[in-house]
Amino acid sequence: MLRRFIPLAACLALLAACQQQPTAPATETADTSAAAPAAQDGLAPAFTLVDAEGAQRSLADFRGKTVVLEWTNEGCPYVQKHYTGAMQALQREAVADGVVWLTIVSSAPGTQGYVEGETARAFKAKHEAAYTHLLLDPTGEVGKLYGAKTTPDMRVIDAQGRIVFEGGIDDRPTNKVEDLEGANNFVRAALEDVEAGRPVRTAFAQPYGCAIKYPETVEG
Amino acid sequence: MRHFAAVCSVLLSALVVLAFASPGAAQVAQAVDRPAISASAVPPGPRKGLNIEAELTPLMRWAGPGSTAVVAVRQKIAPGWHTYWRNPGDSGGATTLDWILPAGVSAGDIVWPLPERQRLMSLVNYGYSGEVYLPVPVEIPASARPGETLPLVVEALFLVCSDQMCVPEPLTLRLDLPIREGEPPLDPRHGAAIQRTLEAAPRPAAIDAAVSLADGVLTLSATGGPLAGSDIRQAWFFPFEGGLIDHAADQMGQRGPQGVTLSVAQGGEIRAKGLTGPIAGVLATDAGAWEIEARPGPPLAGATGLGALSGEAASAAKTSMGLADIGRAALFALIGGLILNLMPCVFPILAMKAASLAANAHEARAARRDGLLFGAGVLATFLVLAGLLLALRAGGQAIGWGFQLQSPAVIAGLALLMLAVGLNLSGVFQIGSGLQGAGSGPLSRLPGGVGAFFTGVLAVVVAAPCTAPFMAAALGAALLMSWPAALAIFLMLGLGLALPYVAISFSPGLLRRFPRPGPWMDRLKGVLAFPMYGAALWLAWVFARQGGEDALGLFLVAALMLAFGLWLAGINQSRRAEGGTAVISAVAATLALVLAVALAGVAASQARAPEAAADSGPLASRPWSEAAVREAQGAGRPVLVNFTADWCVTCKINERAALSSPRVAQALEQANAVYLVGDWTRRDDAITRELERRGRSGVPLYLVYPAGGGEPRILPQLLTEGVVIESLRSAR
Repeated sequence: MLRRFIPLAACLALLAACQQQPTAPATETADTSAAAPAAQDGLAPAFTLVDAEGAQRSLADFRGKTVVLEWTNEGCPYVQKHYTGAMQALQREAVADGVVWLTIVSSAPGTQGYVEGETARAFKAKHEAAYTHLLLDPTGEVGKLYGAKTTPDMRVIDAQGRIVFEGGIDDRPTNKVEDLEGANNFVRAALEDVEAGRPVRTAFAQPYGCAIKYPETVEG
Repeated sequence: MRHFAAVCSVLLSALVVLAFASPGAAQVAQAVDRPAISASAVPPGPRKGLNIEAELTPLMRWAGPGSTAVVAVRQKIAPGWHTYWRNPGDSGGATTLDWILPAGVSAGDIVWPLPERQRLMSLVNYGYSGEVYLPVPVEIPASARPGETLPLVVEALFLVCSDQMCVPEPLTLRLDLPIREGEPPLDPRHGAAIQRTLEAAPRPAAIDAAVSLADGVLTLSATGGPLAGSDIRQAWFFPFEGGLIDHAADQMGQRGPQGVTLSVAQGGEIRAKGLTGPIAGVLATDAGAWEIEARPGPPLAGATGLGALSGEAASAAKTSMGLADIGRAALFALIGGLILNLMPCVFPILAMKAASLAANAHEARAARRDGLLFGAGVLATFLVLAGLLLALRAGGQAIGWGFQLQSPAVIAGLALLMLAVGLNLSGVFQIGSGLQGAGSGPLSRLPGGVGAFFTGVLAVVVAAPCTAPFMAAALGAALLMSWPAALAIFLMLGLGLALPYVAISFSPGLLRRFPRPGPWMDRLKGVLAFPMYGAALWLAWVFARQGGEDALGLFLVAALMLAFGLWLAGINQSRRAEGGTAVISAVAATLALVLAVALAGVAASQARAPEAAADSGPLASRPWSEAAVREAQGAGRPVLVNFTADWCVTCKINERAALSSPRVAQALEQANAVYLVGDWTRRDDAITRELERRGRSGVPLYLVYPAGGGEPRILPQLLTEGVVIESLRSAR
């Protein structure tokens, strides 16, 4: 009895297997879930990261102050253009005005821009930067949470915790140092608007620069 | 039981054949990251950067005075790196060109080829990899003197990126362009490639497009022009500016009788400011790519209703065969191998060996070892065969043979192969029947495990006459697939062949379940011929779709010759088996087979796309003169004027692309327009004056005079059908 069933079962199993449509190429849906919450209601998502000195810093610690988030990667030509002096000057101006400037590195371990330990501690002196804290985001979680795509990518968060500016730092999307002159720096403009109590005139600018080296990016 | 086995075997074999064919079909390729100087300080020729080599190359060997020459920036990008399109996407930067040109010479905008979508997980960039040309039209003044050479210098800034990092590479390129009279030939090195790039680059085509915003989704509808009535299955929209759409999101699409509709997630700029103006970009479809400008407005009529479009676009990232496809092909190969056991030349031998194994059942461990070594021998032989085949293929590819299912020659070859295999299974001719008698060679009589190993090897060799058909099918499939897939198929075939024997060596009792050898084996072999004929028919159908009716006719004659030749070969074999020399049949068979292959080759070379729009040739025209224009305008007719010259390549490209199709002829008729051609080959003074009056120094120049009289409208230099038709319509 069994002998008759084996070939029949094999045939049916095979036919069933063949009924499947050829698998369509897997459509990789963009991870937009991270970008949506930040954008939809305008509130900056909460996060906690460890800074270069090893201390824990949360966004909630700075409630009541204007916060600037700057994504950086010291190997990226676009970041290098700004770090010839313009970014440091803006950081100094902002911090002198009481703004909290958080520079975030979301590069995955082993990729361009990643820093840890001694190199993270030496970052500030090496680049003569004037940020308040350097936050390390090696899993890329916070970068994804804010939908950060490039370095540099900027966010300005007001005292009530709302994102009032997001996107590229200025309107000259090149890596040439000469293009710093005459460029319209949106972060400076946003900080001025916030200080004057006006609504920010330019709330979004197209971000430009190198792609952030998130963990999956590099293995893809 | 036996009937069941036969029926199931037929089904299985049919599926095996289809499996060999379908992975190949599914794999249809879907079509691919500055200091001020003086011209004399820059050496001409290619310049090397870290990851890119660039060169300024001309389309034609020289340029005539007053013409529009085309030069191209050729980029050769290292593997794993890429450069960017005019809109780089989520990151990166477009290639920029700063020209340093002699007086009177001016360069136009880059004619950007269609970019690839390059995905890095959650980011998408638009760019290029490998070898790319960026053509740029350059106006040569009429004052240029034949015999001189114009130095064209460009400071190119490429942003070359890999997954890991970006490197800006500024390279200064120089080309010394000779000025001469007469029709220039194509530049021998890169002229053909630049011409292909120019012809394929997206251009405006009188497509009407509208875009509206709702709930964070932009709905873009495009109708008219080449979209109307065409069979589009895939579409993608590439905007010229960033921030308008979410580059990484899927674009869901619909198609309709007049065009297509795409739903695209909004980008940051739109989210912050709303939809404030038109959105311009490139609409890429599997029927072509065109520039469109979508004005804000409700969706256009006729752009939906005929079903959904696939989300992957014509220029989507290449997809190679997935693990699931390889697994499926391997499974079918395994079953194919199992079926091989039932073939007349394999089965009796295996049955005898298995019986002797069962007889020595008390030496269980030795029996198991022998069984495994037999399996190893079989697999080793198949591995060697696979290795040989892949080496051949790699060697062939190095020489430049490509084995792709789109190539008509490959399809014709495969179809003939399937036919030959079917004829062999039907018994029309034999393959290597001489080996049939070698049931047990000296190697297999070696003691113990070694003997068992070589029995395995022998089994494959002996089985060749019957396995050859399946091997041929596997060969055909393996030629088209990636090497892991090809290797998997061969190994699985071997495994399938060895499996029953190995199973018996582990459990001799199984032998009782096996059917006994008998005439049913030949019957089975004959039945299995028909799936092979089916495969041949399917391939012939694909060939017809690719190549048109005439090529199909030639191919069918080739197939007939093949069948005749193989029949003659069969006669020859039986005559020789009877002891004769049978020279005539040998010669006749060879002739017929050679003729068949030759005819198939001719058929493949004749293959052309059946829907290729027939060139209606040049439109009816009259020679241009100012009087002719006045006369036509006096009669209330619009006038289309084409100033061209024999040596002007842009003119020729435009004429082929935009001025020779039935649609334009129809538009001319409907507008009751007069078509005048001004031939400036010998620099007619009257035409020179007219060109100067329009502010131009050379050809081509296209003018459309409206019906009611008045000043003409000047059409763009790189012309498309759509522009011509639209201008004629508005001139009525």
